Amino acid sequence: MNRRFDQVRAIAAKEIRDALRTYVVASIAGFLLLAAMVALAVSAIALHGDVLAYEEAKALLISLGKSVDSLVAPAYFPLRLMRGFIEQTEIVGAVLGIVLGYRAAAIERGRNTLALVMTRPISQSTFLAGKTGGNLVLITASLALAFLTGVIAIVTVGGVSLTGEELMKVFLSFVAASFYTASFFLLGFFLALHMRRLPHALLYAFAIWLTFVLVAPQIGDTLDPDNQVSGGVFKKLNIAKPQEKEILLSFASYETARNAIEEASPAKHLERTTFALLGIKEIYNGVPIRTILYERMRDPVALFLIFAAMAILLFGRRIDLTRLTKET
Amino acid sequence: MTNSSPALQIAGAALRTSFRDSTVLLLTALFLAMVLLSAWLGWSATQTINAIYAAAVKVMTAQGVTIPPNPVSEGSALSLLRNMSIYVALLGALAALVFGHLAIAADRKSGVLPLIASRPVSRSAYATGKILAIITAITGLTLFAALVNVGTLLILPGLALAPDTWYRLAGFYAVSALYMAAFGFLAALCAIEHRSESMALLVPVTVWLVLTFVLPQVTANISPLAALNPLSATAALPVGPFFTITDAVFGPLSLAEAYRSLSTEFLQLAPDHLPRRSVPSSLMTMISFNIVLAAGFIYSAVRFDASRSDFNE
Repeated sequence: MNRRFDQVRAIAAKEIRDALRTYVVASIAGFLLLAAMVALAVSAIALHGDVLAYEEAKALLISLGKSVDSLVAPAYFPLRLMRGFIEQTEIVGAVLGIVLGYRAAAIERGRNTLALVMTRPISQSTFLAGKTGGNLVLITASLALAFLTGVIAIVTVGGVSLTGEELMKVFLSFVAASFYTASFFLLGFFLALHMRRLPHALLYAFAIWLTFVLVAPQIGDTLDPDNQVSGGVFKKLNIAKPQEKEILLSFASYETARNAIEEASPAKHLERTTFALLGIKEIYNGVPIRTILYERMRDPVALFLIFAAMAILLFGRRIDLTRLTKET
Repeated sequence: MTNSSPALQIAGAALRTSFRDSTVLLLTALFLAMVLLSAWLGWSATQTINAIYAAAVKVMTAQGVTIPPNPVSEGSALSLLRNMSIYVALLGALAALVFGHLAIAADRKSGVLPLIASRPVSRSAYATGKILAIITAITGLTLFAALVNVGTLLILPGLALAPDTWYRLAGFYAVSALYMAAFGFLAALCAIEHRSESMALLVPVTVWLVLTFVLPQVTANISPLAALNPLSATAALPVGPFFTITDAVFGPLSLAEAYRSLSTEFLQLAPDHLPRRSVPSSLMTMISFNIVLAAGFIYSAVRFDASRSDFNE
């Protein structure tokens, strides 16, 4: 048992060293960090602009001797600034996972060392566990760096400190993002291990990413009638919220089908989990973690199940040694 | 033999090789499937809004309030195709990237470049042939999509087609082809410049990510996923000097925003709102990208060392 653990640890450590030597992984992790920070900074600047515009409008109304009751002050909820940050993680985080997965198999196939490793007294599961373990460390480290930088930016730029509960919400969002990114790592690794041509594995992984991360949620959005009219159909018709709910009751099956399409997307589960935790979805703003998790449990569970399914796929299928060359 | 013959032969060979590749076929099939689906999605969403309007009219009649016009009647028949601009921006661009990549990578991997270099074929003819292949493949894809959309608009019941519908549809597909071609040229340029095939694929994908999801946020605070929606082209510029500066500096480089603006304009997706970018400036962005990338590819292909053509992973 100890020997097996040592083997896993040795493979994982080599995997991390190899990944850090190539600039591909560092570039994508850096790009994720940069994109997330740009999103955060731009959100903060936009909010700052809104506050200034509000102050100017307020001053103007006061100077004219008019009431300022009609003005709504822009609300500042620090965690809600992370919307763009999370969306960039959904998009670029998945690419990071795919590239790490591809690289994990490609370096062995490229040097034709995979077949050699398999001839040694080492089981396939030990080999895969080592490779997966090393890459999961890289994924969590990259995401931890991005989330940590995000928190520091919010605290320093916003000039506010986060409560323990808020920090826990960010941490849980980081955990959800890690499972999400790790699922795409497993997908990229599986395809690059088993497909005959390596570049095809990368392209197939990108096609799957595109379909489930961007196209499926977009179909769900398209079928949402409120997204089809500029400003929202109910607002355009001046329909109040209670009547809106009443009208939508007769479209229950349509909504179920729309929701099912959205739920096919792991990105949507990450979005729903994190948007609820960070209060980006307004009804969850300021709600305790326990309540949020109770109400939205199916989304983090779905993320975990997707991760587990990908792991079963990877560990359950035997590697075909006759196909493990660089390319055929 | 005319000077263009080798270029045409190279274009024909590139098309045959690429369309034998399963990845190209997969992405092409995916794109074409989404073309078919998009028409249904647009129609289905419109039918739902009509049904919601009918239900809302009952509520408003009972309340005795003034009944506003149906929001659907304010849009054009072409707005049914609103999803097409998203699928072109996602699947069309990726298919173009893969095609542009394979047009060069297949030659580098099979080792035919030294052979071509030993024949009386000029490098510029080779590069022209590849560009012709990319343009032909993308034109074929967009023509098919356009024909499917024409059929859809003619078949779907209750659509009032304005006299300029077909001109607008042609304009939309012309800019869609320009958008995809830019990514095809970019991928071909990266495939000839990079020594590693993985990097040759990853660099254009990263550029695509930046253009699609990062730049719209920097120029107008449009969140990454909202940036896919063509209606985001009509969003007002946020207040403050930051966005005034970033929009002026990065706006002309924002290829995805230019495409969304033109799509919104041609498909009349927001008749009561003008896109933030004008048609001439958006067209200028798209044409400039195509010229610069195609010229960059030709320049790289002409000075490429054919004796060291294989990828080094």
